Amino acid sequence: MSSHYADSKALLDNRGYAGRTIRGKNPAELFERAVLDRITESYFWKEQCFGLNEASLCDRAIELRFVGGTYGQGKPTPFLCLALKMAQLVPDRDVVLEYLNFEEATEERSSDDERNGDQETQNGAPLCEKKGEFKYLRALAAFYIRLAWDPVEIFETLEPLLNDRRKLRRAAKEQFTLTTMDQFVDDLLNKDRMCSTSLWKLPKRSDLVDLDKLEPRISLLEGELDDLDASDGELGEGDGA
Amino acid sequence: KQHLVAIGESGEVRRAGAGEVRERLGWLKRRLVEERRDEVVDLGERLERARE
Amino acid sequence: KFWDEGDLGDLETIDDTDDVDPEGEHAAWKLREFTRIKRDRDALIAAEKEREEVERRRNLTEAERE
Repeated sequence: MSSHYADSKALLDNRGYAGRTIRGKNPAELFERAVLDRITESYFWKEQCFGLNEASLCDRAIELRFVGGTYGQGKPTPFLCLALKMAQLVPDRDVVLEYLNFEEATEERSSDDERNGDQETQNGAPLCEKKGEFKYLRALAAFYIRLAWDPVEIFETLEPLLNDRRKLRRAAKEQFTLTTMDQFVDDLLNKDRMCSTSLWKLPKRSDLVDLDKLEPRISLLEGELDDLDASDGELGEGDGA
Repeated sequence: KQHLVAIGESGEVRRAGAGEVRERLGWLKRRLVEERRDEVVDLGERLERARE
Repeated sequence: KFWDEGDLGDLETIDDTDDVDPEGEHAAWKLREFTRIKRDRDALIAAEKEREEVERRRNLTEAERE
């Protein structure tokens, strides 16, 4: 399929739905009915999301200023509206990865793959992640991946984002709060509800490792784990895999 | 369900692939950098004028 | 405009600028990462203990049957 229908009627009508599916289902089913209604009734959905494709969606997504589900009087965030738009599009895998990891190749950098480790300030703290330059677009892609992809892909694709410490504003019920990319992604992997959306139950990571479908996660801080062990005696033999 | 019908004319939207998305993001990034630079220039000019 | 209306309240009071204080932000990340690792390890240990306990009980009942 090289096109989809701009009209969300087709998306929301289960009987007639003939577009791409996610785990065999109409992608709209990833969201809760009441939330779906809120989204499709919103100004942002009607005016800013209509007719977007994978490329023009970027124009909107880079202007996102916060993540979240519904806020205030149950108003859906632009973030949530764009998440539904992504679900409607079901973009190709490499498109989603482009959203997630886009970085501009500049001449002096393009040949240097290990760049993140090199970018250090005098005191040794690395500067922020430059992958996924538009951080709210990255968060959007992460949320979509959690909803739409398979467990092994979810862990493999999202866990590198646990090293991304960039700040994100998040809409909570009554006010805005500050979170970070790593916290947001950790929540996606561990909570059962995020951004006014129930997250389908992931198999336990350790079970996927036992089945040889996934490698154990190696933290960037692995070398410093001794400090952790020293500060907490009962962890001494915790790594017996 | 009237409101759903009102959302739009039915019409097909062309799909975009990863290459096109990448180009788009590159363009958006460059535009952003230029806008920021213009802001800095603007600010510089205003400061200059204020000093005179 | 891009947004629905004006009820964005305190959005602007929350600053999401990065690398304002790279050392501090990195240290805060490390603390979060350590906390995650510890949580995941503790969960693994707890699961292992539970498995051992199930094993032990099964052995017990078999022994008692004989």
